[in-house]
Amino acid sequence: MSIDRAAEQQSSGAVEQESGKKIKLSKLRRFILLGIIILFLFQFLKIKVLVGGLTGSLAVWFVNLIDVFAYLENLVASKDFSTVALIAVLPVIGIYLIFGRAFCGWVCPMDFLVEMVDKIRSNRQWAIGNWAKKISPKIGYGIAGVLLVVSALVNIPFFTNYISHLTNFFRMLTGGVFLVLDLPVEPSVLVFSTGGIFILLFLEYLFPRLWCRVLCPLGKIYGLFNKISLLKLKFMEGKCHQCIQCEQLCYMNVKIARHIEKPGLRDANCIYCGRCVEACQTRGKLIKMKFGGRK
Amino acid sequence: MKLSRRDFLKVFIVAGGAVALGSSIYIIFGTTANRGKEQFLPPLPDIDIGGFIRPPGALPEKEFRAKCISCGVCVNVCHVMKYDAIAIVGLKDIKNFGTPYIKDMRDFPCGLCMECPKYCPTGALKKIEKEKVVMGMALIDFSLCFGWNGDVCLSCSKACPLGAYVFDFYHSEWGNQPNINEKCVGCGLCVKYCPLGGSAVKVVTKWKYENIKTSRIDEMNRLLTMSTEDRYNIVYGKNLPEIMARGRIVEREYR
Repeated sequence: MSIDRAAEQQSSGAVEQESGKKIKLSKLRRFILLGIIILFLFQFLKIKVLVGGLTGSLAVWFVNLIDVFAYLENLVASKDFSTVALIAVLPVIGIYLIFGRAFCGWVCPMDFLVEMVDKIRSNRQWAIGNWAKKISPKIGYGIAGVLLVVSALVNIPFFTNYISHLTNFFRMLTGGVFLVLDLPVEPSVLVFSTGGIFILLFLEYLFPRLWCRVLCPLGKIYGLFNKISLLKLKFMEGKCHQCIQCEQLCYMNVKIARHIEKPGLRDANCIYCGRCVEACQTRGKLIKMKFGGRK
Repeated sequence: MKLSRRDFLKVFIVAGGAVALGSSIYIIFGTTANRGKEQFLPPLPDIDIGGFIRPPGALPEKEFRAKCISCGVCVNVCHVMKYDAIAIVGLKDIKNFGTPYIKDMRDFPCGLCMECPKYCPTGALKKIEKEKVVMGMALIDFSLCFGWNGDVCLSCSKACPLGAYVFDFYHSEWGNQPNINEKCVGCGLCVKYCPLGGSAVKVVTKWKYENIKTSRIDEMNRLLTMSTEDRYNIVYGKNLPEIMARGRIVEREYR
């Protein structure tokens, strides 16, 4: 950040010390993630609140849920339409029609782990990491397509079985708990899943948010829902100080400041983490996360 | 919390070392599921299982593989139902990696509660009735079974969730001999509740059973029609010492 911009930021902060409580979206976000993980942990106490993992689960005793990309892979791998899977995927599509890609920022456990790695890295960046920032997220659609083709060719839901961080995370969790409880578990599954997560974290250490922004096909599919979801970033009328803090802090390199003149933001990369809302000098008056409303 | 890069690498190496150490311990000492009391060879050691025993209601192997997304619902539902039968295939079979199977029926058999097909979100496990499940086929090792060697035990038929219509019984001076017929679905409860140390029952997949069917039936008829003298030599000469060496696990029988 250049000096004059920082000075401007300070002065604007001093002059317009705008009232209103600071929105603690990042804390709320972590509470929701923690809550969901705890609900998943109830399954080990033999209580069926949320059973399974985020790839496919059983919620509140009777609702089956299946991840959208996993459903697609299941469909192309088996080349067979199954009503059970369709019934399971519909509520998930409903959730994404409301919340868009908020899953990535609010529910995905990888988001938390990746943020930890970001903190450990402490602003140091590899040159190669900067290069990775320039990779267009649109490549991700190609990768998702290739994964679907691979699944269709080998007749195995390839990504969801071997690579997916969600599958690996919950396999790791289940495997670890079962190992402690002395129940049947293959240690190699545990090692594989833990290794998979660690590889992704190491990737994150080298290339910040490359996985979330470009590679992860789950996020790409959810991003499509961003275009029509009820939840969106809304820009209120007001004076923007042009501090570009929102863009600086955005994980996903969304060009927020460019949208400020427009009423809303519908970028496929936005994960609704709310860091821009928090960072905004106007204390959340200019940028808001809102449901519904006209475009 | 701010760490330097060197500190981070240290943490990374320590974590990686811990994982490597843990995994090597398990490779050396085996898995926790084999806990001491199963130090015996499995029954029918020359017949392999012939694939994986899938959870109840599984589609045919190829379709099952294509549909399973390894979400772990069945594993955890089984844990919630307190059976803990289902485990996940490890790296030994890379093609089937991540799919559920019944790991060791001697410790954790399937209880046929039929909850996992009810909740499978992909349709890889299909909702069907208990009696139509095709998990596998239980085979009794005639050289180890108490009933085939001069005793009356019947623990397997008592444990069977489908009742006695799965069993054929033969009576002779050599006791009350059970045989499991083709209505068996392969849940493995008899495997667990066999009082013999290491169990005298083994579950194999259905297609494996089709391959060995004739030889099994021949052997059973041979034993049933054998003269008393020959049978005496087999039972007291070979079978009983082995049975005695394995011992009885009484807590299993009367759980």
